[in-house]
Amino acid sequence: MKSKLFFLLLAVMSLTLVLACSSEEVEEVATEVEVAKESKDDHEDHSTLEEVLERGSLKCGVNDNLTGFGVLTSAGSFEGFDIDYCKAVAAAILGDASKVEYVPLTASARFEALGSEEIDLLIRNTTWTASRDRDLGNDFTATTFYDGQGMMVYADSGYKTIEDMAGATICVLQGTTTELNLDDRFKSAGLDYTPLTFETNDPLQAAFEEKRCDGWTTDKSGLASKRAEFPAAAGGPEALVVLAETLSKEPLGPLTRDNDSEFYDVVQWVVFGLIQAEESGITSSNVAAMAADPKDPGMARLLGVPYGDGKVADFSFGVDPTFIQHAIKAVGNYGEIYEKHLTPLGLTREGSLNAMWTNGGLIYAPPFR
Amino acid sequence: MDIFIDKLSKLSRSQRNRNLFYQLLFLILVGFFANYLISKAMQLELTLSHFESRSGFGISHTFLKDYTSNDSRWSAYFTGVINTIRVSLVAIILATLLGTIMGVARLSKNVLFSTIAYLYVELVRNTPLLIQIIFWQIIFLKLPRITEALTFGSTVVVSNRGILLPYAKPNEDVNSNIFVIVLLFITIISFALSYYLNKKEDIDGKKLKIQNYNINGSLAGTFVFLILSVSTYFILQRPFVLDLPSLYQNSKGTYLQSGGFEFTPEFGAILFALVIYTGTFITEIVRGSIQSLSKGQTEAAQSLGLSNYQSMTLIILPQALRSIIPPLTNQFLNLTKNSSLSVVIAYPELFMVSRTIMNNSGRALPVFFLILFTYLSLSLIISLFMNFINRRVTRIGA
Repeated sequence: MKSKLFFLLLAVMSLTLVLACSSEEVEEVATEVEVAKESKDDHEDHSTLEEVLERGSLKCGVNDNLTGFGVLTSAGSFEGFDIDYCKAVAAAILGDASKVEYVPLTASARFEALGSEEIDLLIRNTTWTASRDRDLGNDFTATTFYDGQGMMVYADSGYKTIEDMAGATICVLQGTTTELNLDDRFKSAGLDYTPLTFETNDPLQAAFEEKRCDGWTTDKSGLASKRAEFPAAAGGPEALVVLAETLSKEPLGPLTRDNDSEFYDVVQWVVFGLIQAEESGITSSNVAAMAADPKDPGMARLLGVPYGDGKVADFSFGVDPTFIQHAIKAVGNYGEIYEKHLTPLGLTREGSLNAMWTNGGLIYAPPFR
Repeated sequence: MDIFIDKLSKLSRSQRNRNLFYQLLFLILVGFFANYLISKAMQLELTLSHFESRSGFGISHTFLKDYTSNDSRWSAYFTGVINTIRVSLVAIILATLLGTIMGVARLSKNVLFSTIAYLYVELVRNTPLLIQIIFWQIIFLKLPRITEALTFGSTVVVSNRGILLPYAKPNEDVNSNIFVIVLLFITIISFALSYYLNKKEDIDGKKLKIQNYNINGSLAGTFVFLILSVSTYFILQRPFVLDLPSLYQNSKGTYLQSGGFEFTPEFGAILFALVIYTGTFITEIVRGSIQSLSKGQTEAAQSLGLSNYQSMTLIILPQALRSIIPPLTNQFLNLTKNSSLSVVIAYPELFMVSRTIMNNSGRALPVFFLILFTYLSLSLIISLFMNFINRRVTRIGA
């Protein structure tokens, strides 16, 4: 009996010792510099770019229920504007646009999925905000679509502005900036309202169809997509109008994890590359011809091919220098992607923020140099 | 050195020593793992200080508590907690009633009753709760739209924005809080009185009489309660007045309904789903407990000439209660935890509100701890209460 107790004591003591020793270590590394250094080391251990190359596929967090941006079709494939960016990144890194594993995510689960390395890249109509950039452990790469929050109402309601909607019930998705912008807008106008907050779009739409709420607010792109496919039984697209007012700035784009600069750079420059391709007039159909005979040194740099007898300009992104070429081949330039997915929803590009900078829009890529 | 190795090999020959060694090794590994987790968690910010800041989002269902988006995140959080308690409490009471009735019906000699109870249990128990919640949401959304809302005079408004019933509201001219406190006192006094009178009757073994009139303790308590509360109501100059629901259009043409007690489709859906789902399990518990009693009990009750109703309420159920309470506690706990599923149908309970806060603040871990702690507290309170009842029931029965 005595010896048993003794061994138990010994075990407890050694455990305490182990914990004490290592907790000292924790205190030591607790200084800010060391923490920063450690977390940097942490990420150097497994850069997402290396991981993707090793795995041979890209895990892309997407929406599966937003026509035009990301939707799971009845044929079982993913389609949309955001999906094409997943494909473009996969084509740029792996040379094959089909090497994407799509992970459908809800709005409230998406950041956790990225942070916990469940996915490599998040392209799920996600708005770039300061607090998200700061607090959520991720980095916004670039804006692919300039959106703004809008309000959709029934045409027969007679609402023309937000000011008309005093006392209205508004359907909104949970865990989004939308919910906060909505409150800001109604609060600052001194209007009462009741928010009905849903976790996913399907029950929200069910409630809206039964006129449980007077308005439905989300990004205008999302509203356009929901309006376009509004069931005929509930009145079809004509029964709905999106109010002209824009409640907020909502720049959407792909996100990577913090401190993952190699992968971040690749994603960012794929986005810029597709914009530059449109500006230079390179499309998915003529990219092969352009690569064989680039018109100017700039185009040669973009496509990763030699100009004249010169050498290939290597940007050392850790991927093949022709990565933009692969991306264009797979999905086309920015304009082509937009035409294919967003124009059918009624989101006209001319005159909007998403027009080329040469046409008065905001779509602009830094130089490839 | 050789002696040392020799000793070591001798030591390792003993089964007991080897076991101890492995256990020690395992313990150290567990220690290292725990230490790793703790050190990782230390790097995160684990405080809840951000709960002091403005919440910035609205909540559709507020009960017993005023909340606006200008209030703190704590305020939003407690609004969610109250919503969870509200739906759980009402659902627990109704599910117990439904389960008891169905449990008795299940054993009824009437084929219609027993078949209905049987079908109810088998159909509802074998489908997922989440789907039932969505089902009830769709059903409630099929109520008339607000533009076609049904009104019954100015007493009831029925639409898919909510069913409004007449209710009491505080009179703005008078302090109504005093009335609530006084009412609480009156209730306690009345209960104490009826308890005392009933006890006295038991101990004396004869009816209490005042001037040849029989006095029943429970009746006397009710009488005192009514007299006192009504007179206080008028003495305090009507602290509560009738709140009738109304349906109207504002200047912009928006249909609005307000006033009275509001029963919203979201609350209705989660309440119905929880009551009907949990009711099946309670039905089976009640049936099992009744069947576990010796058949002699029913026969004895019958031979005493008691009616079916009397033998059920006086003989069978009181005895069955002893084996009903412990599994019933389980069901109550399940029901409370299942209420978090209402996140899918826009009923803003604890989990939903916390998730919104989590998303806005980006600090998932501490908020998750808070959610777990809150559900744990709710469960422990239910368990404590049920254990208290259990002790009473077992003691009285013994």
